[in-house]
Amino acid sequence: MATGTPIQGRTRWLDNRKTRVFALLAPVMTFFIVFNTIPTLWLLGLSFYNYSLTSGMPPEFVGFKNFVAIFNGKNAIWFDLSRTFTFVICGVTVQTLLGAVLGFLFWGSKNMPGRRIALTMLFAPMVLTPVAAGTFFRFIYDPTFGVLNYIARDGFGAGPIDFLGDPKLAFWAVLAVDTWMWTPFMTLMTLAALGSVPKAELEAAEIDRVPFHRRLSLVIWHHGKFIMMLGILLRTIDSFKTLDLIIPMTKGGPGQNTRLVALELNKQSFESFNMGWSSAYAVLLLLISIAMTSVFIFVLNLRRRKEAAE
Amino acid sequence: MTPENSKAGADIQRRAILKGGTALGLAGLVGVPLAGKAQAEDAHPLAGQKIEMNILGIAGWGPSSLGVAMSPLFAEYVKAKYGYDVTFQFQEAPFADLFQKAATSLATKSQEFNIIISDSQWLGALAQPGWILNLNEVIKNNPNLQLEWYSKAVVDTYMTYPDGTDQIWGLPQEGDVEALFVRKDWLEDPAERAAFEAKNGKPMPQTWEDFAELTMDEFELLADFFTRPDKQVWGFAQQYSRVYDFATCAFNNFLWSRGGQTWDPATGQIEGILNTPENAASLAEFKRWLKYCPPGATNIGIGEGVDVFVQGKVFSAIQWAAVGPAMIPEELKGKVLVVPPPKHGTGADAKRIMSMGGQPWVINAFNDEAHMRVAIDFMNWWYLPETALEFAKRGGNPCDKATLSRPDFDDINPWNRTFKYMLEDGRSQDFWHDPKYSEMLAIQQEGYSAFVTDQATDAQSVMNYIACAQQQILYDSGTAKVEPTAMCATVSL
Repeated sequence: MATGTPIQGRTRWLDNRKTRVFALLAPVMTFFIVFNTIPTLWLLGLSFYNYSLTSGMPPEFVGFKNFVAIFNGKNAIWFDLSRTFTFVICGVTVQTLLGAVLGFLFWGSKNMPGRRIALTMLFAPMVLTPVAAGTFFRFIYDPTFGVLNYIARDGFGAGPIDFLGDPKLAFWAVLAVDTWMWTPFMTLMTLAALGSVPKAELEAAEIDRVPFHRRLSLVIWHHGKFIMMLGILLRTIDSFKTLDLIIPMTKGGPGQNTRLVALELNKQSFESFNMGWSSAYAVLLLLISIAMTSVFIFVLNLRRRKEAAE
Repeated sequence: MTPENSKAGADIQRRAILKGGTALGLAGLVGVPLAGKAQAEDAHPLAGQKIEMNILGIAGWGPSSLGVAMSPLFAEYVKAKYGYDVTFQFQEAPFADLFQKAATSLATKSQEFNIIISDSQWLGALAQPGWILNLNEVIKNNPNLQLEWYSKAVVDTYMTYPDGTDQIWGLPQEGDVEALFVRKDWLEDPAERAAFEAKNGKPMPQTWEDFAELTMDEFELLADFFTRPDKQVWGFAQQYSRVYDFATCAFNNFLWSRGGQTWDPATGQIEGILNTPENAASLAEFKRWLKYCPPGATNIGIGEGVDVFVQGKVFSAIQWAAVGPAMIPEELKGKVLVVPPPKHGTGADAKRIMSMGGQPWVINAFNDEAHMRVAIDFMNWWYLPETALEFAKRGGNPCDKATLSRPDFDDINPWNRTFKYMLEDGRSQDFWHDPKYSEMLAIQQEGYSAFVTDQATDAQSVMNYIACAQQQILYDSGTAKVEPTAMCATVSL
């Protein structure tokens, strides 16, 4: 039959497992190659060139010179990395602890009136645009007409505090806003982790009068750790890239006090248009991110490996 | 010729004339518009067409939006004169981000923005890769653009790259200079005047002429007198912010006025010129003035400077003349005096050399023929005397000599007299137009910000750090022939 041939042909084509897999994967693979692999390879290649977009000169191959300059230059990456890791470690630790406490509080108060509204309000900072949050807080922190100084002055008789202009305070003032924004995310992850704990095991532990810290380590953490570690991993990677909160608040200042790696990368690539140098910088940051992710995955799989070894 | 013949001849003649007249009339009726159209088309190749132009301007910057607000007048003008329709679309970005927005578009040879309001320092970075149109030929072919500018500073700041050459890349959109805005109503308060005289043994300056002769030492008495933290009032505000070029422009006022230089444009040499002990002392002096500024002054940029002034938190502020309309809102009209900033030094040696502000128009080099033609028509229209006057009346600062020399110019806006005075050669100047300006500026802003916020406490070390880093940037780019010296290896912020 004339109409039957193509249908049969199509059926045969779809019946082939390899072809079907290829056909289904093709769109996402195309997307991945075009928008991820090629730009990454391009970035890697460009990192070996001296190329400034505003010089009007063609790219010049310089080998590892950009990498050497990053480590030896006046704006050496060490200072920015040290500041960034402090920001990440302090921020993620505080956010995780606060988020976990809030998560447990909400977990244990399922019948609390207004719980849903309280949760919605708690999660609100997380959905704000960081640029908007940064701008709000710049005004809130303002020493002349900011509301925090108004409270400090009228409530406690304290002098004007220059939160964002004082080198001793600026870094922590920015970190406080980051914590305000992202603690809800860790609360959400804690609630998800707690939701993954089987009720039967919890009830059994309660019946057996297992102390809370033992229940926490043996039951809750055992089941919820993957989600919690995933949350910490996501927050660590996100915190490592912090840029849009700092730009409206301090632009990296005062001096270099809040200059994190992402800010330096943004400045070199999209303000100074040093495409070769900033590509090398981006490659280094990519390697650091991969290393951090690998450590997390290694820690997550540690027990599984031990169990497998036993 | 017999009378009959003559009559017949006259009839024929009359018929011929009538026929001819009718033909001419018809020809006139039909042909004149056609001829007119043909003439318009000869005169302007875009007659009868509709063109959409895109302008990229500076967000939140009054003078930039004035250029945009006046564009409908241009549309009317070209419709009447050239017979084509033009509409405008506008995009904006803040000062610190506009170059990024323009450059990323121009790097792809896009004509997304046909005309750009650039900042003066960007001329090199936009011209060097060939992104904007060299205007030498355009000016040569358009007599309307062969204007006499008010001063050489206008040409050097808004038009020329490289510095000192005759290569023209921009035309002034908005001229701008630093001015001192002071609260006239506070100066005129009899109680304040008496208290000041009792404290300092001399009367307060009061007029524009008084302030034009004022030195920083004399002005400091005023700043000190009005600094009253217990009443939430301070004597002075200037820009110390790390954002964009805010601290740099304010500090350059001190550096240049006290005899310093930032670099040698001929050789690209910075080390040994910027980091002199005298310039380090100027930096320390720049920081010393923080004691007369409100808390948080190290974050004061243009917007914050306007805020503290209009809220009555400060007696005076060094601010760009271009933000005059924001500095003198309705409720402060008649209460503000705009004067030249004080001189540095004493006696006959006292001088002021302040930073130039302002922005040039630049034209996208990748415009197609039609958009290029409209862009050039726009420039021709912008510099018509009536357009320049209208711009001034709306609060803008034109730069052509004819408009600024009008007898009524000084009275159009409260800052016009000071604008004109500060625009004269030797009173204001711009800093580098080098394509590497952005990198050099970032280093400088970090250094100055670190010093004024006490992250770094030694002015000389800060100047050494900036000079070494900038020397390296210019050496790497080939502008400077000399490498940073060995001293630079040990310098850090």
